[in-house]
Amino acid sequence: MADYLWDNIFRKDAKEKELITRLKENFLFELLSNKELSFIEQIVHVRTYRANEVIFRQGEAGVGMYIIKKGNVDIYSAENIPGQENQNETKVTSLSEGDFFGEISLVEAGSRRTATAATSTETELIGFFRPDLIELLERNPNIGAKVVFRLAEVLGRRLAETTDKISLIKQELLRISEKKRRKKDVQQSNSDS
Amino acid sequence: MYNSRTLIRRERYIKSFAVFALLCFFAWTIFAVENMMASVVLALVITYLLNPFVNKLERKGTRRTTSILLLFVVASLALSLLASLFYPILSTQIGDLQAELPKYQIGIVKLISNLEKKAQEIMGGYYSFDIIKGINTLIAESAGALFSNIPDFASKFLTVFILAPFFAFFMLRDGRGVVRQFLRMMPNNLFELALNLNYQINEQMGDFIRARLLEAGIVGLVIWIGLAIIGFPYASILAIFAALTNLIPYVGPFIGAVPAIAIALINKDPSIIVFLVCMTYAIAQIIDIVFIIPMVVAKIVNLHPVFVVVVIIIGSQLMGILGMIISIPVASALKLTFTAVYDHLINFRS
Repeated sequence: MADYLWDNIFRKDAKEKELITRLKENFLFELLSNKELSFIEQIVHVRTYRANEVIFRQGEAGVGMYIIKKGNVDIYSAENIPGQENQNETKVTSLSEGDFFGEISLVEAGSRRTATAATSTETELIGFFRPDLIELLERNPNIGAKVVFRLAEVLGRRLAETTDKISLIKQELLRISEKKRRKKDVQQSNSDS
Repeated sequence: MYNSRTLIRRERYIKSFAVFALLCFFAWTIFAVENMMASVVLALVITYLLNPFVNKLERKGTRRTTSILLLFVVASLALSLLASLFYPILSTQIGDLQAELPKYQIGIVKLISNLEKKAQEIMGGYYSFDIIKGINTLIAESAGALFSNIPDFASKFLTVFILAPFFAFFMLRDGRGVVRQFLRMMPNNLFELALNLNYQINEQMGDFIRARLLEAGIVGLVIWIGLAIIGFPYASILAIFAALTNLIPYVGPFIGAVPAIAIALINKDPSIIVFLVCMTYAIAQIIDIVFIIPMVVAKIVNLHPVFVVVVIIIGSQLMGILGMIISIPVASALKLTFTAVYDHLINFRS
């Protein structure tokens, strides 16, 4: 009986340490001390998913982000064609341990998920949601400010990446239209001659 | 893949059933166990009132348990001070009212019989009234019950006043942990919905309870000042009664004014006093409608007036005065839950 009790206590400790380690590895929480991480540990939610289980669907209201503690998550995106029943979902990316997703919902009230997330293996996720962030800011603004600052950094990077991609697409579009114009000019001059 | 889907679906059903069963058990405990409903409601009121202050102390680095204990000590001291200040006035007024109660009983009967006669004159015998017989029995029964029920009421009052702070202490300290444990039981597909719903209901209830208590306090204070200036008897008792009935939307303010107007009419006070008493209640309501409701209450609960009245009637049928007071926050929580679940099931899907 005594062995059983001790065994359970150690296992719980190990689980808690594992959670703190996983949080510490995450970009949002990496600047926090162990004491501060213990506070975060009381706020976040650990969820277990079976393989091929949907975490959230594109278009659903989202309230927060997930960090992958164990396992793998696939992100799918569907083209939203009105009136079309079966819309093909394309796999956008695969995420593994330590990666996180859904952080935009953490700051945008009433936001909708822009993609579908589903597990590919048995997965454990750490959920951090808007109500948790608000609770953190209310109860411990020092930690809250650090997390929000890092979150702003993540969103800033995402914005920079998106701007780069848009610039590239714009350049590509310009190049294509220039090419088309030249081709048209050549065709015009050929027909004139 | 098929096995995995079946397992997921089975797990979701089991978890949903477990959550539903647990909710039903809580609801049954609250309704079936004596004094539990009143204790839980009062504990929730204390929790919502103290929570912002506990958070404030916690922000300054005080441990949560210490913050709660500190606030309980301060609140107890403040209540004791208020009680020692108002007890002599209140006990004198209650004693006077008890002594003069037979006079008011006869007065009410006379007032109603006069009204009955006038109504029969107006109706010209087309319709005959005999409400006075029923009123006599009702008054005799309720006046007898008022004093014979005092020991029973006192024991219930004592139980609730011991249980409520006890529950409130643990709600403040461990409430979030308990909610987290409960959310842990939720199936994955409903988890985010439940988390968000819990947050929204909590926020709305907190704002609603704090706003309504502030509103009741201000209305009670205005009436107390007004009646004291006029020199009207039982000003403190009437102000407390008006503050409490003000918690019932729409009909509450009228119920609150009835005893004062009845006392003025029975005592055959001059018309100017009756007018001033009516004015006091009217001014309190004007302040409430013009300033307090738009600033603190209206933005919180957006329910249609007809719906509010129906809900109050249902509340009064089920649980009497307590039902009338708590019917609106309960209806708001149900409306919020229904809207959120409907949105989740219908609108969330793109």
